[in-house]
Amino acid sequence: MAGTAGKALNLKLKVWRQAGPDKEGRFVEYEARNISSDASFLEMLDVINVDLVKSGQEPIEFDHDCREGICGSCSMVINGSPHGPDRGTATCQLHMRRFRDGETIVIEPFRAKAFPIVKDLAVDRSAFDRIMQVGGFISVNTGNAPDANSLPVPKENADMAFAAATCIGCGACVAACKNASASLFVSAKLAHLALLPQGQAEREQRTLSMVAQMDEEGFGACTNTGACSAACPKEIDLENIARMNRDYFKASLRERSEKS
Amino acid sequence: MAAKSSYLTSTIGQKQIVALSGLSLSLFVLAHMLGNLLIFVSPEAYNLYGHALTSTPLIYVAELGLVTLFGLHVLIAVNLTVKNSVARPNKYAVAAEGAKATSWVQKSLFIQGLVILVFVILHLITFKFGQVYEVTYDGTTVRDLHRLVVEVFQEPGYVVWYFIAMVVLGLHLSHGVSSVLQTFGAAHPRLTPVFKKVGLAYAAIVSIGFVALPIYFYFIY
Amino acid sequence: MSVKLDANIPEGPIEQKWDKHRFSMKLVNPANKRKYQVIVVGTGLAGASASASLAELGYNVKTFCIHDSPRRAHSIAAQGGINAAKNYPNDGDSIYRLFYDTVKGGDFRAREANVYRLAQISNLIIDQCVAQGVPFAREYGGLLDNRSFGGAQVSRTFYARGQTGQQLLLGAYSAMMRQVGLGKVKLFPRREMLDLVLVDGKARGITVRNLTTGEIESHAADAVVLATGGYGNVYFLSTNAMKSNVTAAWRCHKKGAFFANPCFTQIHPTCIPRSGDYQSKLTLMSESLRNDGRVWVPKNKGDARPPQQIPEEDRDYYLERVYPSFGNLVPRDVASRQAKFRVDEGRGVGPTEEAVYLDFGDSIRRLGQKAIEAKYGNLFQMYEKITGENPYEVPMRIFPAVHYTMGGLWVDYNLQSSVPGLHVLGEANFSDHGANRLGASALMQGLADGYFIIPYTLGNYLAGQDLVKVDESHQAFKDSQQEVRAKTDKFFSIQGSKSVDEFHRELGQLMWNFVGMSRNAHGLEEVQNRIAGVREEFWQNLKMTGQRDYRNDELEKAGRVADFLEMGELMAKDALERRESCGGHFREEYQTPENEALRDDDKFCHVAAYEYQSQDSHKMAWQRHQEELSFEYVKLTTRSYK
Repeated sequence: MAGTAGKALNLKLKVWRQAGPDKEGRFVEYEARNISSDASFLEMLDVINVDLVKSGQEPIEFDHDCREGICGSCSMVINGSPHGPDRGTATCQLHMRRFRDGETIVIEPFRAKAFPIVKDLAVDRSAFDRIMQVGGFISVNTGNAPDANSLPVPKENADMAFAAATCIGCGACVAACKNASASLFVSAKLAHLALLPQGQAEREQRTLSMVAQMDEEGFGACTNTGACSAACPKEIDLENIARMNRDYFKASLRERSEKS
Repeated sequence: MAAKSSYLTSTIGQKQIVALSGLSLSLFVLAHMLGNLLIFVSPEAYNLYGHALTSTPLIYVAELGLVTLFGLHVLIAVNLTVKNSVARPNKYAVAAEGAKATSWVQKSLFIQGLVILVFVILHLITFKFGQVYEVTYDGTTVRDLHRLVVEVFQEPGYVVWYFIAMVVLGLHLSHGVSSVLQTFGAAHPRLTPVFKKVGLAYAAIVSIGFVALPIYFYFIY
Repeated sequence: MSVKLDANIPEGPIEQKWDKHRFSMKLVNPANKRKYQVIVVGTGLAGASASASLAELGYNVKTFCIHDSPRRAHSIAAQGGINAAKNYPNDGDSIYRLFYDTVKGGDFRAREANVYRLAQISNLIIDQCVAQGVPFAREYGGLLDNRSFGGAQVSRTFYARGQTGQQLLLGAYSAMMRQVGLGKVKLFPRREMLDLVLVDGKARGITVRNLTTGEIESHAADAVVLATGGYGNVYFLSTNAMKSNVTAAWRCHKKGAFFANPCFTQIHPTCIPRSGDYQSKLTLMSESLRNDGRVWVPKNKGDARPPQQIPEEDRDYYLERVYPSFGNLVPRDVASRQAKFRVDEGRGVGPTEEAVYLDFGDSIRRLGQKAIEAKYGNLFQMYEKITGENPYEVPMRIFPAVHYTMGGLWVDYNLQSSVPGLHVLGEANFSDHGANRLGASALMQGLADGYFIIPYTLGNYLAGQDLVKVDESHQAFKDSQQEVRAKTDKFFSIQGSKSVDEFHRELGQLMWNFVGMSRNAHGLEEVQNRIAGVREEFWQNLKMTGQRDYRNDELEKAGRVADFLEMGELMAKDALERRESCGGHFREEYQTPENEALRDDDKFCHVAAYEYQSQDSHKMAWQRHQEELSFEYVKLTTRSYK
């Protein structure tokens, strides 16, 4: 049967518990005993939750799904860092071998006005979808497309567009930013399309609309601290924010007063 | 439907105004610092430089420009800071350490700004609107700012405060100058790190240039 | 006796069936389309692309997803790529070859007409995705790059590094969000479909639970499109996401939709082996790794040396040895079974001895570490994060894991289930992959269904109906809500002592041991009773906590596991009744002397479709129907990859 090559850890957890968006929240302490260092961070929480359920208590609610760092569901702040201490890692990819036996781990939800807490560690990130729906697309109806190879894309651009498109929409950038700015997310989405020839037709309008919606949702301003990129599980580059700033400036200058 | 966009009220637009005004002010402080260094050439050179600046009618245009830039920089920065604190109403119980930490220099930009604001007001009171001594060179009577500077920098309290304020100014510039290109959208994998260093150097030069005066007059003169 | 299932396959030569059918289908006039309401459940590749395309045509679409954002649907996790018969590399590919490879790869248990259509559409998908801005990998000249996948001898797989699924899904998602912005799609995130509502025998709506507020809601429509993915999580440990489940499909099944080939599950050969009992899921490493990685085990049993110290002569590159012409690129079912044989022989490696090596040493020496990093960097990184081992230095350890389910709700050529008005897309239907899916074909099928098939066939359905006006006040919706509430109440009233996860693990263990990579009559008979036993205990000893009327993950899981506990039994029943081996379904009694799958085309060249009949306290009953398959173009032969 399963080998347990990893060693066993005993940890103290301080977990933020909050029943709903308008309820008072507080930290509750839990003991995590005999956790394998090969377990993932979320599996450690699973173990705690089974115990909570069996003792008739409500388990700790947190968002998670694919558990391989791509769906962008997991969203907690571990010891002050979104997705935990490692760069380029989502919470679900964080493993317990990263922690010391006897350590205290503080687990909080992402905190931002635009991400209201749903329950415990789960927050509402629908603001991101609303930003996407005002411009995060190329307007091409099904069936309208020309042959895929009719428009060559320089490899360098394609690679940069891909790098921006690796964003998993988790919101760690917002959580990490002292201003809860969504600049990294929005700029990554803009850059993905702005770097491709297909995205040029709507480039300016897209930039204006998505930035306006970003502000409307109540995210803060960018202070160029770079905390977002450091926390990003896909290590999206700050260069994208620069590109967004530039495009926004240009588009604002060129914008005609009456928009179609 | 899409929210209506307006450059002047958007976070990016406001940020760019703060950056542009900040950059202009950075050039001003550099010029100011270089002017100050004339004091090491001779009291006369220093005083005549001051006289030349204040005796042209353009001074009013320049002063108005400076006040406007400074006012814009402060007001919009305050506005953004308020927006930002509304966007992040609850702080984390523990601060990030290591790879994902935000440096205290960047966390304290607003406080730095306040320190500089207070400094500028006191600075104007002390020097521009302060004690007027006069001295005559070749028949021209000019204000003897050199004497005022020497006097002021004999006071240990003022020297310490001046020193602190100039270090804060340096920190503020180190962030501002090195990120202005980012704010206006010029980022490049090779050039951005170089520009970061240029920004740091700029801040250090301005800061050191300013504190050279009190240190010289308190400890050496 | 069983009813004859009519797949409604159009007449004519296979190359012309789809074109002729598109011409003969009824159309809904553009002005009338806005009078129709369509429900789409699920926002993976199939659901998102269907929502977008239907809305573009003018239909009013209500789209439901279980996640907080439609971008998180599990299509996002597909890594390797998407097939198309573009023949850009000029290596001899064609629509016919893609069709041929897919039928053969599916071990002759898929419908020829469907597969041919899929191959035809494959090229349009690539065009569509590129136009949407999907950043596929490109050559230096700016044109699209291709790579090879298992079961094919041409390079026809388009990819976006190791996250093709995310990039394609973001394309479909963005197209859908555009329609959300335009008001043509109304999006309902964090909703779980708990029932299908029928009026006059036709699908006219759904009952959902709002997973945030706990509210039970009714939604009426003129047709329902289900795109809710597969049921791999019946095994507890699989590469599926934690929320992936069979509930929506299963509730449709219990309302009359036939379930086809439930025993056809795909075990993916290249997954990271499990490390302990706390394990919650398994992680797949893209099949594309087999392009450059070589699979081996030590020649000698119990060879405990670290892999780097085992010399060439003591290694058994068994896939290259047994299948010289396809080598490491044999189809998934073959590769998985071979790994299992090696482990069963006692030649497994790693701490659990339930793994084989996937070694990049040769490729790194040949191409350099840089080249390998460029191709697979993120996969290597992922492996290192999970295992703590550096695969550039130490060979990866891999083992098969449940990954995809070829079975699903039965649909005809129009993707309509046996319930009129209920259409099923993507992994949730059974249609195109037969008994084994080839790599990079799932993304192709999901998008083909959503972008290019349902927009036509749904119009044909609507235009051919005389639908009475139905809204949420209809009694059928009230009854459905009642039923859903009663089930929720039941969970809370049991007050037992075991958590949902414990039952799920128990079920998963049974499924893996008896309905896993190899199956036999004795085990399949026994396991049906044991599953029934677990199910019985579940309904007597479940521990439920938390609130009924607010977010409650335990409650969500309980509903899903309750359905898995029924589904598992049907899978075992189907596996028992299919007395042959084919593709992913390997019956120990039916194999060639070389341990290859032995089909029985005389008796089992058919789709088995199950009609749910009844359920008394612990016994479930189904009626087995058959849809005969005929192979006019690809001759029934024994699959050989030697």
